[in-house]
Formats: sequence, C-alpha cells, structure tokens
Amino acid sequence: MKAFRYATAHSTDSARELVAGTGAYLAGGNDLLGLLKDYLINAPEILVNIKSLPGLNKIERGDKFWTVGSLVTVAQIENHAEIKMVFPGLHEAASEVASQQIRNVATVGGNLAQHSRCWYFRHRDTVCLKKTGDLCYARNGENRYHSLFTGNTCISPVVSSLATIFTSLGATAIVLREGKETRMSMAELYHRAWENPLAHNSLNNGDLILRVEIPTTRGRSAYLQVSDKHAFDWALVSCAAAAEVRDGKLKSPRVALGSISPVPHQVEAANDFLDGKVLDDAAATHAADMILQDAQPLKHNAYKVPLAHALIRRTLLKLNGDA
Amino acid sequence: MSSWPTETKYISHSTPRIDAPAKLTGKARYSSDIQADGWLYGMILRSKWPSAKILSVNLEKARQIPGIKAAVTVKDFPQTIRYYGEEIAAVAGATKAACLDALRVIEIKAEVRHEFVVNEDEARKDNSAQVWDGTTNASAPRVHEQGSVDTAFPECAAVIEGFYTTPVQLHHAMETSGSTTSWTDEGLTSWASTQGISSVRDGLAGALQLDHSKVRVITEYMGGGFGAKFGAGVEGVLAAKLSKEAKAPVRLMLTRFDQALAVGNRPSSFQKIKMGATADGTLHAFEAENYGTAGIGAGGDAGGGGGGADIPMPYLYKVPNTRVKQSMVAVNAGSARAFRAPGNPPASFGMESAMDDLAVKLGMDPLEFRLKNDPNPIRQREYKMGAEKFDWKQKYQKPGSSPGVLKTGIGCAAAAWPAGGASKSTQGEARINPDGGIEFRLGVQDIGTGTRTVIAVVAAEMLGLKPEQITVRVGDTNFPPGPGSGGSTTCASISPTVYDVCTQALRQLQTQSGLADARGENWFAACKKLGVNPLVVHGQWQPGLSDSHACGVQFAEVEVDTETGLVTVKKILGVHDCGLIINKITLESQINGGIIMGMGYALYEERVMDDLSGVVLNPNFETYKLPGIADVPEIEVVLINMPERGVIGIGEPSTVPTAGAIANAVANAIGARVSSLPITPAKILAALGKVPPFVNA
Repeated sequence: MKAFRYATAHSTDSARELVAGTGAYLAGGNDLLGLLKDYLINAPEILVNIKSLPGLNKIERGDKFWTVGSLVTVAQIENHAEIKMVFPGLHEAASEVASQQIRNVATVGGNLAQHSRCWYFRHRDTVCLKKTGDLCYARNGENRYHSLFTGNTCISPVVSSLATIFTSLGATAIVLREGKETRMSMAELYHRAWENPLAHNSLNNGDLILRVEIPTTRGRSAYLQVSDKHAFDWALVSCAAAAEVRDGKLKSPRVALGSISPVPHQVEAANDFLDGKVLDDAAATHAADMILQDAQPLKHNAYKVPLAHALIRRTLLKLNGDA
Repeated sequence: MSSWPTETKYISHSTPRIDAPAKLTGKARYSSDIQADGWLYGMILRSKWPSAKILSVNLEKARQIPGIKAAVTVKDFPQTIRYYGEEIAAVAGATKAACLDALRVIEIKAEVRHEFVVNEDEARKDNSAQVWDGTTNASAPRVHEQGSVDTAFPECAAVIEGFYTTPVQLHHAMETSGSTTSWTDEGLTSWASTQGISSVRDGLAGALQLDHSKVRVITEYMGGGFGAKFGAGVEGVLAAKLSKEAKAPVRLMLTRFDQALAVGNRPSSFQKIKMGATADGTLHAFEAENYGTAGIGAGGDAGGGGGGADIPMPYLYKVPNTRVKQSMVAVNAGSARAFRAPGNPPASFGMESAMDDLAVKLGMDPLEFRLKNDPNPIRQREYKMGAEKFDWKQKYQKPGSSPGVLKTGIGCAAAAWPAGGASKSTQGEARINPDGGIEFRLGVQDIGTGTRTVIAVVAAEMLGLKPEQITVRVGDTNFPPGPGSGGSTTCASISPTVYDVCTQALRQLQTQSGLADARGENWFAACKKLGVNPLVVHGQWQPGLSDSHACGVQFAEVEVDTETGLVTVKKILGVHDCGLIINKITLESQINGGIIMGMGYALYEERVMDDLSGVVLNPNFETYKLPGIADVPEIEVVLINMPERGVIGIGEPSTVPTAGAIANAVANAIGARVSSLPITPAKILAALGKVPPFVNA
C-alpha cells in the first residue's frame, strides 16, 4: 500500500478541508483498505478518519421519516428492534450483509459507497475498463456474477444490499457536496455508474454522505437475496420491495433489485402497474415480467433472469404479511 | 504374531485431543508462530503473465528499500514462465510493508508471450497454443479394455450416456504453505508446515546440496496439508536462500493469493460415460472417455508430488465389459498435486451419478442397484446399516416426485481406498524416567488429525496408564524416522510402532525391576527401580497389527429450491470402517472434516480462470467458495469397528463419496441431473430448463 497521511476530523467542515484534493474518507475501512492494499484505485494522499464526526452515528425516529446517520453500523440497523417493526426489509437487508464481524464495523455510508466487486476489477493483474483499460473482460469472459442491464460497456453490478432496500423505501441520501447539503435519491446516487464505466456511483471526490432519510410512507417492506452459499456470500440477485397496503391494495409500491445492474434496478412502469392492485401471484408475476423484460443476459449469467423473477414474486408477496 | 488386546480401556473409546489445551490457549506453535531471534518476513514475486520468457531480473532497487535484508531469484535466466503466478524472485525484510514495497520495484525484462491456454477444451484443439513447446497439450489416450464392449451394449436392457465434469479444486488448508527457516554455518533448521518432515529434510538437503545431517525439520503443530505439503516446495527453498543471504531466520508463509496459484490442486475431469445393465440390474457394459488437466503438470513437470489426471474407472464396480480411454491435458496453470484421495472424488462423482441415472432408467431403487453390483462385503454391510439408520426405504421417492417448490431428495454413494496400509519403516522410541514419567518420540507429524492423541491412547492402553500421563513428542527429524502423513497411512504406521515400543519397554522394565508385570499400578514401582538413569527403548512397526483398504458409504438428504436453485444439505450420514478404531472422537472428527470438504467439492469450490488474461480470477475466499458453518448440515457418523483387521487410516475415504451422494440427492429431488460440479444455483436452474438460451449478439 502506498504511504499516506492520516488525520482525524472532528467536524464535517474540517473533514472536507482535509480530504480536499486526493484524500479519502475512512470509516469502517472494509472496502477502502482492500482497494488500497491491492492498488486498485489512485492512492489517496491522506486518509481522513471520520468516525469521530458528531451526530452521524445515530438512528433518529420521525413521523414522516427516519434518519440514519452515515456512520451508523450495519449491525446497529440489524439489531434495532424498532427498525425491525417499521422497516422490516431494512432489517432483513442489513442482516444479510457479509459476516457479523464485518457488520459490526461496516457503516451505512461505506456500504452505499462501496466499489465494484467484479473479479476483473478486483484482480491485481488485470487492467479492465473500470481501471482505465480499454476492455471489459467480463463481457465475453467469466460473467456469472455480472449485470443483466447496463447503460455502458462495463457490466459490474452494484452490490450494496442497503442501496437495494433504500431504493424500494424511497430513501434519500443527504450528501455534503462543496459545503452544501445535496439531496439525492438512490437513483441519483448511482446514476453515473449507469453511463460511465469508471464510476461506481455519482459521488465526486470530497463528497460525503451524511445521512439517509427514509420516509415512513411505506409500512410494508421486504428484502430477499440468494447467494451460492447460505451466509457470508454476495447476492447473486437481491430484491427489495416496499409499499403501503390499504384495504388490501398496494399504495406507492416500489421494487428494486441488486447485483443485476450498475444501479439499483427498478422499472417505474412496474411500480405504476402494481399501484392500487391487490397483490396476488398473478400481479406479482406480471410485475416481475415487466421488471425483467429488457434484460440482456450474457453467456454465464442468464440464470439470473429466472432467479430474479422468483425473488421479485416472493419479495412482493411477503408484503402481504400476516396482516 | 502380535495382536491387539481384546478388552480395552482407551483403544476404541474416546480420548479428547491431548493437545487441545495447547491449541485453545495459543501455546501450540505453528510454523508462523516461530519467533526465532532476529527473524524476517519473506515474500515471493510471481509472474503476472501466464506465458513469458524472463530475460533478466534486477533486484537492486528492492535491496535499497529500508528494512530489506535479502533478495534472490528462483532460477537462472532466461526463465520460462508457463503459468500465471509462477515464482520469479523473493525478498526478506524486517516488515511485511518493506517486503511488499520491495516486490513492486523489482525490475524484470521479459518477452511476454500471448500464446497460452487455460481452458481444457481449447487446449485439446490441434491449433491450440502449446504449454510445452513441441508437445501437444493432450497426451495420447491410454486405453484399458476388457471383455467385449461393442457386443455387450446391444445385450443390455438399459443404457445411459452422460457427461460428468468436475472442476479444478484448490489446496486451501487453513494454514497456508510455508516455513520459518534458519540457515547458518552450523546447518539449516526449517519449522515447516508439512505432512512429511523427512521428505522436506531430504528435499531441502538435495536442493541446497547439504548433508542430510545438517538439515533439521520441525513441525510441532500444523494446520492441514491434504496432499499439498510433502515437499520442501519452491517457497521452502527460497526461505532457505533468503535466510543464508540475510544471515537471519526467514518466515515465508504464503498468502492466500499465493496459495491459490502454485501449491497444487486436484485435476479437473471431463468424463463421458456410457453404461448399460441387463434387465435384472447387473452392470454389463461400460465405456468411458476422460480427460482432465493437471496444469503444467500434465506436460513435462510434475514437481511437488505429481497428481495425474487419470481416475479409476468404473471405480469400485465390477463390469465385465469395459473400455476406458484417458488422457491428460496441459494448460498454462499451476501443477496438480496429490489431493485427499487423488482421483477418487471425481471418479466417485462420475460413476455414482451414472449409477443413479442407470438405476432410474432401469426403474430400480438406486440402493438396490448398488447392492446388486458392489462386490465388496464390507460396503454391502455398510449400505444395509446406513439404509436402516437413514430410513432409506421410507424416504426414497421417484426422482422429481417431491411436491412443491422446495423439493427434497436423497442419494447415496460409496468410497474405496484400496491404498493406505502402513509405512513399514516407521520407528519410535520412549524414554522412561525413574519417576515414572514417559515420553514418546516419533519422527511423524500431527497434521491436525490427532496423531499425538493416537500415540497417547495406544501407549496408555499398552502400559496400563492414562493418556494424560504420556508425553508425546512428534514433528522433529531428530526423532526416529516416521511416515509422511498421507495416503491414510499414519495411524496404521504409528500404532503398531507404539505397540512395539511399549512391548520392548515392558520387557526391559521387567528385567531391570524384577517385577513380573510393570503395567498399571506397578508402573511407578518398576520405574523407581531404574535407579538414576532413564530407560530408553526403541521400537518399530510390526506386522499383524494393521491392514489396508477402508471402505465407507454415505447418504445425503437435500432440499432444493426449484425457483432459486439454492441447494440446502439437510443431512449426511457416513457409515465408515477403518479396521480397529483407535480413538473414536478424533476419528469422527476426521470424517466430519472429510464430509465437509466433500460438500465444498459438491456445491461450492472451483478454480475459475480467465481465457483472455490467463489469470486465476478467484484467488481468495470471497469468490473461491468454501463451506461455512451455515452451510454444514447435521452429520451423523456410524462406525464399524473391526479389531480383527488391525488399524487402517480414514483420511481419504471419508471425503470420497460425499459429492456423489449430494449430486444424486439433488437429481432425486428435482428429477434432472446436474452433471457438473460444483452444483450451483445457476446449474440447477439450467437443469430445470428455466434459463433462457444465450444468444450471442
């Protein structure tokens, strides 16, 4: 790893000043330190420890929305009794992240901002498109873990479980950008990755995710993922759904999928279709068809289509719950 | 002729590992725990090209990194590189950081070759790049034929054809390969992570042109070998060279990345099988063509212990008419090495899958089909015991008939390990002190299987003492020579040896003390009569106390989610034999380990290489997937104790049938065959016809 300076910031202003230029924020470090050790990104001159920033490690309840600070750990979410009641899908997504040890230190901000897990990107001796090379090796290579959708040549998918559930809950990230708080939907937070192979999200250098606001409008939520293994494994496909259910009908439903696109995958037409519907197997199946109809499977990832289809149906039907 | 006692207090009972406290408290010293005075870290620079000619290597800049004390190259130049990850140079330094920095500034002049091949099917083509210049990658097929296959198939009532494939499985013991090595003018000491202290001693002495008596290898504790760790290895020789140059001990333990590339693996297999049986379910004709890769080991180099790609076919079944063609394919990848039951897990998977497929075609219960065709009486007994325990008759349903989305299924498969036996040159000694203390010294090593405890159990039984009264020292070439721990031979080598040492000890004690029987309550009185000097007795392996050829059968129950493809193993039952059981609890532990390793082979493990760049894409535990605790089912082990056979090892057979049993359970659940390991959700969905065909745009 290249030598770097290290500083601890005690205010967001000082964090921003310290990181200016080619610095990087350090919170849980799970992703960043791996990237540095394997020389996968341009080495920052300074790592700015943000773990002491005040106020960012809290989960705050609210009538209209809850606020989750970017330094809240994934374990904090997983173990939060009220979140389990109010946003069950968020609890489920958090509990699927990595392993207990990683969840104990991984933060919400870090989970959202994490880089690609594409095994070509992560390999120390391949220079792929995402590393300013001129070729996506995965496209005609080993693409079993890659995207069914993309807006560019790179097919590395977003793998953040929290991004998937936050998308379905209609959550907003509040990002400190050039001194101002900027509100970004999850779609906006990842949009750049859709069109630019060098990007894995829309954050600029120096941008800092401060918190996530989750509206309470969707009282039902669910998250499911399937991996090769039963625990501590990346999702092959993940799916989140959230909605309000009134008189047995869905209101403001949202479905989002992870690991099949560089951005949390959602199809507005499918959300619109579900709105006002009684959720049954036929409706869920039709929504799944709509969500996946433009999928462009490659040689080794076509299995993700039926897998995603099953997960969409199951996640949606979970919204019916016992109530 | 010697014989084991029939009434036993410890043998065939359960004694917890005598070294468990040392392991649990961290007192046990593994190779990477050795803190020899002034020790340095060692690290290896590997080729980032799959094929190249290294013209020169300049180590000067590496030597200038602060903290670096030595830098060496692996070979003279030009060096031909044949796979990604091949060793080029190594450095030793005071910190890991210094070593990592040093590796990055080593200057290499190389002619990079773009002709290479990492895929078996590509490598077999006539126009493929050649791994070894001037030699075709695929060896000429070796053909074994008996009876008349061509006339036999038309006589069959049912014939199946299948293409069963297994991937390259990587050697990923919990402790990576490596050593802490110190080479001074007095000689060389290597604290190596090895299954064979003697073979490492000989290997180091040979490679470094040292007198054998100047080389000492010590392995106090060891975190698994599974066939990868018999030789000194490139890493062992490099540690020695670095130590000599740095004039300091060097700890060179491979990283997980290193481990995935160059310390051996289980070859792949591509088994095209055609098999037929007569109407009464008797196997009648078998034809197979198999190829697989042993990496560059399939060509000229079988360094590190070989491990060819041939497999025993038709495995443990007797078929009167057979034709088997096998060939090895070289690819630009790390060489194969022995890997727990070499050849057997892929053979078992292919043949046992074919057995179930044929049973289905015949309309027979697959267990009945096996009982009809397996000639081995021990397995016959094991199948019957297991079937009862597993409730086979009750549970068995026609393939795919389990209702609903989550389908359950059961399957079984068998193991054979005709090899094994004992290393007849095994020796040992005991030092008996006048205070009654007794210490055994054997030049064997405990690779984690419980070898120390086995020695204590046998000694306690023979001497009428308790296992905790026995001090056991192993893992030092200064002790009487012992066997390499491999091939399921350790227990059968050391148990008779300890028996003999004890017999000699009792005889001498009787002579010296005048007591008729020095065992048990007379022990201390007898020892006291030794006077001032301890009694040292020597013993060696004796015939009549051990045997070879363990069998074993396993049953698996799985649940398959037919919409997501996820396989959950619900239960594995292993029915195993290994002659006279020495220590039940460590035996069961070893079988548990074999089954879990077999599960990894069935469902998760696979080396993935990239055709275009030639690199291993999953040199880590993130994407080289191994079973975790959440994946491991209830495991039940049933043992048949056969004292009349003497001691037999269990290491290999316990892992052989697991993948076949799981694959058959999956096929039974979903009514379709996944004929390729590992059985992933992607392959389940494909077998169920749910995956849309890929259209190359």
